[in-house]
Amino acid sequence: MGESFLQALTEVGDVYTLSLIVAGVLFGIVGGSIPGFTVTMAILVVFPFTFAMDPVSGIALMVGVFVGGYSGGIVSGVMLGIPGTPSSITTVYDGYPMAKNGEPGRALGIGMLASFFGTLISIIMLIFFGPLIAKFSMNFRPWEITALIVFALTLVAGLSNGALIKGLMAAAIGLFITTVGFDRNSNLRFDFELDVLTSGFEILPVMIGIFAFSQLMNNIEDLQAQGDAKKVDTNVTIPYRKIFSDISRQKLNTLRSSLIGGLVGALPGTGGTVANFLSYDQAKKFSRHPERFGTGIPDGIIASEASNSAVAGGAFIPTLALGIPGDLPMAIMMGVLILHGITPGPLMFEQNPVLVGSIYVSLLIGAFIMVACQIVLVRWFARVSNIPQQILVPAVLMLCAVGSFALNNNLFDVWVLFVFGIIGYLLWKAGVPLTPLILGVVLGENLENQLFRALELDPDWTTFLTRPFSALFLALALASIVFSILQNRKITRTLKPQGGT
Amino acid sequence: MTKDRSLATAVLLMVAVLFVESGNIPEKTSWQAYGSAIYPQILLGCIAVFALLLLLNSFRQTSQPGTKGATTAKRPRANVKVVGIFVLFGAYAALLPVLGYLASTLGFMVATQALLLGVDTRRKWIINLTTAGILVPLVYVIFEYGLNVWLP
Repeated sequence: MGESFLQALTEVGDVYTLSLIVAGVLFGIVGGSIPGFTVTMAILVVFPFTFAMDPVSGIALMVGVFVGGYSGGIVSGVMLGIPGTPSSITTVYDGYPMAKNGEPGRALGIGMLASFFGTLISIIMLIFFGPLIAKFSMNFRPWEITALIVFALTLVAGLSNGALIKGLMAAAIGLFITTVGFDRNSNLRFDFELDVLTSGFEILPVMIGIFAFSQLMNNIEDLQAQGDAKKVDTNVTIPYRKIFSDISRQKLNTLRSSLIGGLVGALPGTGGTVANFLSYDQAKKFSRHPERFGTGIPDGIIASEASNSAVAGGAFIPTLALGIPGDLPMAIMMGVLILHGITPGPLMFEQNPVLVGSIYVSLLIGAFIMVACQIVLVRWFARVSNIPQQILVPAVLMLCAVGSFALNNNLFDVWVLFVFGIIGYLLWKAGVPLTPLILGVVLGENLENQLFRALELDPDWTTFLTRPFSALFLALALASIVFSILQNRKITRTLKPQGGT
Repeated sequence: MTKDRSLATAVLLMVAVLFVESGNIPEKTSWQAYGSAIYPQILLGCIAVFALLLLLNSFRQTSQPGTKGATTAKRPRANVKVVGIFVLFGAYAALLPVLGYLASTLGFMVATQALLLGVDTRRKWIINLTTAGILVPLVYVIFEYGLNVWLP
């Protein structure tokens, strides 16, 4: 591993790749800074630019966006009281009051440093746990992998805010989308005698269509509901000495929040938002002055920003080690890896150690670049976050279309983007969670391959229940569904005495 | 009809069509344990079960007192701008091979920004044309010359 790490360091360390990480981090922060843009959207927009790059350069750029994106939500959260990304909601609780108390620079500085330490700690977790989990999962055969994918999908569907049935249905639809075209036995399926459907749908335009259109249309609808957006005051100065002393007084909080973020990020379907709330809650419980949370204290900002940035490294653990993405941005990242000809999973550590090392190195370098860029360019990011959605939406849609076309120089992919854009928007309007749908699209092909490999080795379906780990994953899948049902019932019962409101 | 009921009905209809279509998938050969149709048919079965549960749930919810008709009343009005963006994007996709990247993208950017920003002041027109005039050629140059990716 040491040799691969050094080779990765040499590859990522050249000026071209470093400049790509800088560009990625800058774009990620910009994406995170603009309310409603999100990390996922930033990844989708940048991805087409990696088509012509070698895998290491392409991944370095994407990792940069990933690291920058998770930390970028702080700008609008602190300055406007509007979280730039859902994973920085609790940053607003203390960041915004601190800014209103006349210390916006301090709030931003604390958040940036906490983000840096959060990312760093999660990378250490990834370097330590990634290979361990991958080594363990090398024992998994097709039965276990099939069951694990089913578990990941039910877990994500179960976490879909009280919409379990819709979540499960979305996951199944996502899986079904990947069955169009030639299958592994060269049989045509669901082509409706149209030539364009014989090779199925590319993952990228499907994912962009489903996610980007619904997100952008949501932004447009929000805009109409809210009227003119508030503007960020760009006159910010960071009091360096003060923020370093704030962080040094909150060492335990930083460490605890980063560990929570890293661990939550490693669980499929949870992501930054859950980590954010969980670590804020824990920081409050461990605090000597819990009553001051929400009034503009450093503790809350640190808990929030350290945890949501730590998700970046944590989310890579299941993706690289098991081939199961931790959250939506990671599902897109996995699609990116697949399109670059890399199959994430335990074998990646054996077959592509340099590439795994490149991800570690890119994350590490990205963390340092992120904090440097945030501190030096804070005023510029504040200015960028003022870009109105009316300009942003057409630009992003145009980049989505160009990206989909550039994938194969095929106009059909632009139509795929458009059709899945309409489907995604309608499903979103009907309250269908889109994360399980996208995860289904990303994992669909692998699930079918593993299922058929298992059935070719042993046509008996009960083998899934007789192999211990396969049975365990299926039991966990069932448990996650039962847990969601019980949770939903509890929520309904709590709401009923209040008159069903 | 409630939102959930409309969704469940649409999904069930889609499942029915696709299930019939799955009959055209070649049968399994002698060396295969299962044919190519089984996996999509299992998925279609799952989707149908979830859609049915959703449908049943929607009836159960509307039969509860105080909830009848609530979903119809609360349904948001069709958003003209959202529909407009979809129409413009469809036109853009259709015109891309005819007019080429530069002309069609410029047209799409200007039209979409005009729809969202408005066209009532000179300032808005300047913002619109400047953004489109800079962004469209910039993306073209990056893809064509920086990344060697051909655009129509």
